[in-house]
Amino acid sequence: MRQFILPDLGEGLEEAEIVTWHVNEGDRVVVDQPLVSLETDKAVVEVPSPWSGRIARLFGGKGDLIKVGAPLVEFAEGAQGDTGTVVGELGQEEKAARAEAPTPAPARSLQVLPAVRALARKLDVDLNLVQASGPGGTITRADVERAAKSLAEAGPAEPLRGMRRAMAQRMAAAHAEVVRTTVNDEADIDDWRKGEDVTIRLVRAIASACQAEPSLNAWYNAEAGERRLIKRIDIGIAVDTEGGLIVPVLRNVGERDASDLRAGLDRLRADAAARSIPPEELRGATITLSNFGMIGGRFANLIVVPPQVAIVGAGRIDQRVLVHNGQPAARRVLPLSLTFDHRVVTGGEAARFLVALKSDLERPS
Amino acid sequence: MADEELPVIARFEVRRRSYLALDGTVLRPLPGFASDTNVLISLYRGMVLTRAFDLKAVSLQRTGRLGTYAVSLGQEAVSVGIASAMREEDVVLPSYRDNGTLLWRGTKMEEILLFWGGDERGNLSSGPAHDFPYCIPVASQAPHAAGVAYAFKLRKEPRVAVCLFGDGATSKGDVWEAMNFAGVHKLPVVFVANNNQWAISVPLQLQTASQTLAQKAIAAGFSGEQVDGNDVIAMRAAAEDAIVQARAGGGPRLIEAVTYRLSDHTTADDAARYRPPEEVQARWKEEPIARLRAYLVSQKAWGKSQEEELAADCQKRIEAAIERYLATAPRAPATMFDHLYAELPRTYAGQRAELSGGSDA
Amino acid sequence: MPEVTLVEAVNLALARAMEEDANVVVLGEDVGVNGGVFRATVGLQQRFGAERVIDTPLAELLISGLCVGMAAQGLRPVGEIQFMGFIYPCIDQLVNHASRLRNRTQGRLSCPMVLRTPHGGGIRAPEHHSESTEAMLAHIPGLRVVMPSCPERAYGLLLAAIRDPDPVVFLEPTRIYRASKGQVEDNGEALPLDVAFVLRQGRDVTLISWGAAVKETLAAADELAAEGIEAEVIDLATLKPYDEETVLASVTRTGRCVIVHEAARTGGFGAEIAALLAERGLTSLLAPIARVTGYDTIMPLPRLEQRYIPSVARIVAATRKVCQFS
Repeated sequence: MRQFILPDLGEGLEEAEIVTWHVNEGDRVVVDQPLVSLETDKAVVEVPSPWSGRIARLFGGKGDLIKVGAPLVEFAEGAQGDTGTVVGELGQEEKAARAEAPTPAPARSLQVLPAVRALARKLDVDLNLVQASGPGGTITRADVERAAKSLAEAGPAEPLRGMRRAMAQRMAAAHAEVVRTTVNDEADIDDWRKGEDVTIRLVRAIASACQAEPSLNAWYNAEAGERRLIKRIDIGIAVDTEGGLIVPVLRNVGERDASDLRAGLDRLRADAAARSIPPEELRGATITLSNFGMIGGRFANLIVVPPQVAIVGAGRIDQRVLVHNGQPAARRVLPLSLTFDHRVVTGGEAARFLVALKSDLERPS
Repeated sequence: MADEELPVIARFEVRRRSYLALDGTVLRPLPGFASDTNVLISLYRGMVLTRAFDLKAVSLQRTGRLGTYAVSLGQEAVSVGIASAMREEDVVLPSYRDNGTLLWRGTKMEEILLFWGGDERGNLSSGPAHDFPYCIPVASQAPHAAGVAYAFKLRKEPRVAVCLFGDGATSKGDVWEAMNFAGVHKLPVVFVANNNQWAISVPLQLQTASQTLAQKAIAAGFSGEQVDGNDVIAMRAAAEDAIVQARAGGGPRLIEAVTYRLSDHTTADDAARYRPPEEVQARWKEEPIARLRAYLVSQKAWGKSQEEELAADCQKRIEAAIERYLATAPRAPATMFDHLYAELPRTYAGQRAELSGGSDA
Repeated sequence: MPEVTLVEAVNLALARAMEEDANVVVLGEDVGVNGGVFRATVGLQQRFGAERVIDTPLAELLISGLCVGMAAQGLRPVGEIQFMGFIYPCIDQLVNHASRLRNRTQGRLSCPMVLRTPHGGGIRAPEHHSESTEAMLAHIPGLRVVMPSCPERAYGLLLAAIRDPDPVVFLEPTRIYRASKGQVEDNGEALPLDVAFVLRQGRDVTLISWGAAVKETLAAADELAAEGIEAEVIDLATLKPYDEETVLASVTRTGRCVIVHEAARTGGFGAEIAALLAERGLTSLLAPIARVTGYDTIMPLPRLEQRYIPSVARIVAATRKVCQFS
């Protein structure tokens, strides 16, 4: 703060009266700029500013007497800060938003134009059920109308629950990930004794094949790109129940005898039917058997459920005409399907496994 | 052939007009109107009011009650001198540093405050309805002035367009194109280049290599005169001469008013960044109000009681205007669409309604 | 009724306006003695005198600035800019003054001026003589931007522009100056501004265009009719402000829209129409909106310019594609 003291006005005058201020508090003034008009006996005198600067305070108002030597004006220290502009006011500093990597657009599954969407709403048609025939995979009005007609003839929509829902999710996930390949064959089981326990023969044959070709009894972690070969053979047995598909696990098949396996299997089936299988019993299979042949069908392209790498399908046992010892003969055959994850299992490994499986099954009882 | 042997085919001359020395003594015989002290006193009052109003406006800006403001400190003789030579039916096209002119011609102080305070109603102006409003894009008012003058000539009206702009404006093509056209058609327009030596921070030496701004008229085919812009008698006389000539069909003239911008460019500018205080201090000695006062006092036509009275009167009028300004509420937002066209196209009804707080289209 | 070309229609309208209103003044380079480089102002100086038909110095900024000053004083100036390529010095006067004089003086002053200029390419001219930057001007609040597509509308819309109390930029499609002929009755009747003209009714798709491109758009509509596609053709005529209601009503009915303009694609005025349809007509759309436009590059010199200007074939192809969606 600098104070401007009223200087000697001349002619021995000791004081003067303020007539009018020419500046205001807060003003920036320059050197010699008239600050105030003061009246003495003789005249009205204009007092110029001794410095450039900003006026912080004016001492006295119109009519007040100011003595020579008394403060007249107080100047603020330093000049006004740089406004950084010549018009207007610049705002305060704000942190600028940082740019982030843009999120890629999701793949749109439905291509529908707005008017068609409105039509679908009007006809109460679920666009996910409509088959698109327009350019670029877009759904046309005709597509919607066609779907409306079919849906009118179809039954009511029923949401999937429980085991069905779980299956839908599991199968979808497996399909999205696994590279499925299937190789088929038939085992000539005509030399089996009557009443042979088919399922137990199958699981023991699988265990034997696993020992011959261990790479199909394994787990694959796609994310880590790691495969674990597993010593113990725990076979998932696909069971068809009223509620849907369930796959309890028959443990340590390689080291148990037939009657033990049968007892274990029966218990699993009973629990499945009673819907009392604890969750642990459904986990940890190293390979799966689907004995769909118990119901019907010969060969199938089955679903490999990660982290497993293979699934064996057994079809319906039938009589077929084969060449046996060089002659056509009617023989009982057991159709075999082996679906494997070709990311992890080679064709050779699969073939060898299948050969071992077939070979074990073809041994007489 | 050496250059000197080639015939000279054109020469030009520029005269400089001034009547009062820095201390108010008379340099040469004064023009007729100056013998009437009442006329001089009215010029004096006009300048004092302009300055007092300007400084008050600055303090309003500093206390957040006015937006950016352009002060005309030190240039009061230019604005008042020019305006005092105009008739009401003439048209002024100002820049943005000509409040003295606007006030002289009847614009109310609160209207000026409204404009700089951010309200278009400030441009409604109680001055003549045909006067142009402030012009911010520098020099762009010059072609308007030529157009206005052309209308006067076409309709054979004895009216004159007076175009005010600064030294920076004379670097722009707009001023040249307008003067050039005015020269071709001998239009009734007076161009006033208010040479306050500074275009924000750019000094005259960087603005032009021309010895005077006045001589730029020569290339457009008419005369230019340099005037001591801080001598209001000289300003009034020069303006009167030029306007009378234009009105009589004598064509355009350029007046270069030499003065000094004693203030910052605007309230947001800090001139200390680019010019030394000693320079400004020296220029204060030439300022117009003190000069005329010295003359009036020497003629015993002015004294301390009149000074007091004038100061009080200005204060009173300014305070009253400020009060009226501060009491003016902002326009309703929907009025943004008023006067967009003569009749608002229905396309915009929805947006207007949105601003009214009504439904959007 | 006589058949006149588009440029002759402009001439008729100017003469009629100058006859009716002594305040109408024409100014520009070569407009007086020469009658304008395209003869748009031929005969006017002889008839109305050099005071009202002014050969200005070579100064586009001046021409537009003079118009502002004259208009503020109550004259009705019609300035000519020789080619749209030379209008850019006028942008300052159009944007900073003409468009806002009424608004910033709250109606105390106004600006009833017209600035005319030849628009677009296709006349095998050298560089800079084929501009179509109407979108820049249509962006400016307070301006009007008008473009006729035939002699009849040139006459009626120019009269309306001159009589309008606000500034109008009047863009005259150069390549149909002489190629477009029509019957025009010189009766002083103006056509309405701010209104679009439906030139052809159709139920399958709406084609919107303006200026010279209307010619190709109509030809495309004829070709499409032969394959069973009935196109509705709209001449926008006034781009600023434009007739949103007519555009929306048509596309709501047809469900499909193809916009055709010679100007470059990005930020071209077609983008504004597409935005309008997306905002207020989306649920009626049966197909994506298509724009058939000049490319986003500098308008090429004459050897390639026909590849730049939207052709009938390009319009037909785009419309067919749009009609495949349903």
